[in-house]
Amino acid sequence: MSPERFIDLVRVEQESLRRFLLALCGGDESLADDIAQDALVRAYVASGSFIGLSKFSTWLFRIAYNCYVDYHRKPRLETVSSESQQALSIPATDETDSGFKHQRLYQALESLPEKEKASLVLHYFEDRSIKEISSILDIPQGTVKYYLSAGRNHLKSILQ
Amino acid sequence: MKNKDIESILRDSRPQVQDNPAFLLEVQQKMRAVEGIKNEVDRQRRYGRTALILALVSGLIVGAVTMSLAYLYPIDPSAINDSIISDIRVIVESYKQYLLLPIAGCAIALGLILGRHKAFI
Repeated sequence: MSPERFIDLVRVEQESLRRFLLALCGGDESLADDIAQDALVRAYVASGSFIGLSKFSTWLFRIAYNCYVDYHRKPRLETVSSESQQALSIPATDETDSGFKHQRLYQALESLPEKEKASLVLHYFEDRSIKEISSILDIPQGTVKYYLSAGRNHLKSILQ
Repeated sequence: MKNKDIESILRDSRPQVQDNPAFLLEVQQKMRAVEGIKNEVDRQRRYGRTALILALVSGLIVGAVTMSLAYLYPIDPSAINDSIISDIRVIVESYKQYLLLPIAGCAIALGLILGRHKAFI
């Protein structure tokens, strides 16, 4: 794949990719952008092996999710409480009550297991189908449905 | 709270990504850096392969010439004067039947390399 073609495809996907990682990173925009860039460089290096079995965006999201998982596997100095602080920094679309509700939701999302959180983010923020989520997270479709259901139940119990 | 409520809260809470024009520029810079590294690695690999092929071809030619000379112009070892070159000639004369082995080795290695990496030649 030529660099120009790759950049054209990335230009279409970048907003969605950054938003996905922003939600996964609990609102830390600079971290989300760092992971997104890392993912895009990895995707570019591996672009020769992309043979079109899945959509380019699905392939890209899968790499991005793996980069995010790799990042979180590395030992870090930050404490868990700093992640909660990051969750508060997500810009809400509205002020007042609505903004507060969003911040509570993002904090609740932060407390969910990784795959539940990723399934919810992909399904509700990025409008991805079960099949696409299954391909991105590399899990069976039935498991995605389970994660979505469990994630909704967890969110319900946290937000009530 | 019902499932529908949670779903509508989630759908209404999509995070907003701030526009960052530098993002794609940084990606392009990193891609150029990756391209540079890939080109350098390819160049060194090609250089190493060329050097290896030249060494094998040289070995093949020198071996073939030495063997031909040894068979075309046989010498009597007892009639040779004492010097380094004469010693070498004596060794070649004594073991000329085994010269075929390194030559065959060079030829086989060359054949394998050329067969596997046609694109680089």
